[in-house]
Amino acid sequence: MGGQFDIHYVFDFLPKLLSYLHITLLIVAGSILLGLIIGFIVALPRLYNVPILKRVSQVYVSFFRGTPILIQLFLIYYGLPELLKLIHVDTSRTNVLIFVIVTYALHSGAFISEAIRAAVNAVDRGQIEAAYSVGMSGYQALTRIILPQALSISVPILSNLVIANLKDSSLAFTLGAMEMTGKSQTLGSATRHFVETYIALSLIYFVISTVLERIFFYLEARLLRHERQIIEKERSSKRWIGWRKREIARLEKGVDPH
Amino acid sequence: MIKLTNISKSFGKHEVLHQINLTVEKGEVVVILGPSGSGKTTLLRCINYLEKPNEGQIEIGDFNLDYKQANKKDIHNLRQRSAMVFQHYNLFKHKTVLENVMEGLVVVQKFSTDEAKRKSIEMLEKVGLGTKLDAYPSQLSGGQQQRVGIARALALNPEVILFDEPTSALDPELVGEVLDVIRKIAKEGITMIVVTHEMGFARDVSNHVVFMDEGVIVEEGRPQDIFGAPKEERTKQFLKRITSEWAYSI
Ligand SMILES: Nc1ncnc2c1ncn2[C@@H]1O[C@H](COP(=O)(O)OP(=O)(O)OP(=O)(O)O)[C@@H](O)[C@H]1O
Ligand SMILES: [Mg+2]
Repeated sequence: MGGQFDIHYVFDFLPKLLSYLHITLLIVAGSILLGLIIGFIVALPRLYNVPILKRVSQVYVSFFRGTPILIQLFLIYYGLPELLKLIHVDTSRTNVLIFVIVTYALHSGAFISEAIRAAVNAVDRGQIEAAYSVGMSGYQALTRIILPQALSISVPILSNLVIANLKDSSLAFTLGAMEMTGKSQTLGSATRHFVETYIALSLIYFVISTVLERIFFYLEARLLRHERQIIEKERSSKRWIGWRKREIARLEKGVDPH
Repeated sequence: MIKLTNISKSFGKHEVLHQINLTVEKGEVVVILGPSGSGKTTLLRCINYLEKPNEGQIEIGDFNLDYKQANKKDIHNLRQRSAMVFQHYNLFKHKTVLENVMEGLVVVQKFSTDEAKRKSIEMLEKVGLGTKLDAYPSQLSGGQQQRVGIARALALNPEVILFDEPTSALDPELVGEVLDVIRKIAKEGITMIVVTHEMGFARDVSNHVVFMDEGVIVEEGRPQDIFGAPKEERTKQFLKRITSEWAYSI
């Protein structure tokens, strides 16, 4: 299919695809924010061992972790309106993006609740006792001692999830959502240059994931600055910057005619 | 004065403390000795309400509480009157040395930030860490971490400080600096209950020794009496064993 490969199409497609970048980012940001709220609520009954709710949240988590996201997308898009019809809510005019964001939020919520649970359990019991011992309430211990440390522990997991969502958001085109991948389909059909659209598309996804990865890495280093190893890493990166400055100065001297 | 009356504690079917009665005068330094598993840690934890006894009463100064009927407010009050120094320090890892000490003052005792800071620095200087205010726990030696733990407890201005084997997690060369700090604050007349296996220390700082075994207080008294002329067979055997271990380790 398609015409002769022509690299110019790649450059031509890049800005056209980028004009839909905000939709992709909206899906990612919306689903992660909503997913954080869902994940936190779902983690609570398991952290505090609430009998029946604990089972419910377990089932939820294993369902969304154990089924393909594409199927979840179809289930929510075609199944949820049927359910809502039963309580007389009409969703036929609802934007498809809402369904996409809800699906990815439910999906992320499952992973986030697991991450929160693991991270909270990783904060050692002794510090929680010390918090109680100085007179803090359960809520104060949770918000001042446990959560700040749990957050920094879960940054790498969150980072993976954001990048996974970025990539998975491309599946939204199967519902006809107009985000970057959806746009690439129309561009491809119109010009018959599919390979070029895919090259342009992968370039964009690649650059964005790399940037996100860097941002999270920096965030992690900042949040974990109380750990000696990381501080040493920071120092060595400072050393590297120092070396680079000296090196640049030397090169500049080198081209100096004097 | 602190008075414990008929404190019993079981974990499941296993009775770990059996009707403990103990009176500690104000300013006394009490050392609790006893073999592993005798219930020393559990007793300290009950005083700080980190463990809830099945029954018993406690009196600290003008405050008293029946463990069976304690509500949230009582628990809070009890914890305000006692402070714990843990075997493994249990410092807040994401907070600096200064923030570790300030935390309870600001969050629980509602000090202003400035006041809390002033008081915390004073306590940290007392334990010899005035120059480490901005360090994180992971950047300190075990001995320094434990001294932060002591400053954190001191700052809360409790009626009694509870020490659970404060030096047993330390490398031998760091034990001295921590014991010196405890000696120093003992001289200031703060009431302390110390679980320790450091016999030399127990002998020279305490004025009241308690020997526990299998959840009961077997014998108690002045250090010269307990160490010099123990009455109970179990005490004698324990002291004999521990002093010979001590002799070996030299
Ligand atoms: N949370 C718990 N659940 C069940 N059993 C416990 C618990 N905490 C303590 N025990 C048991 O209670 C007994 C007394 O323990 P405790 O820690 O008070 O002894 P200890 O005198 O401090 O000993 P050591 O010198 O080894 O620190 C032990 O048999 C211990 O196994
Ligand atoms: Mg113990």
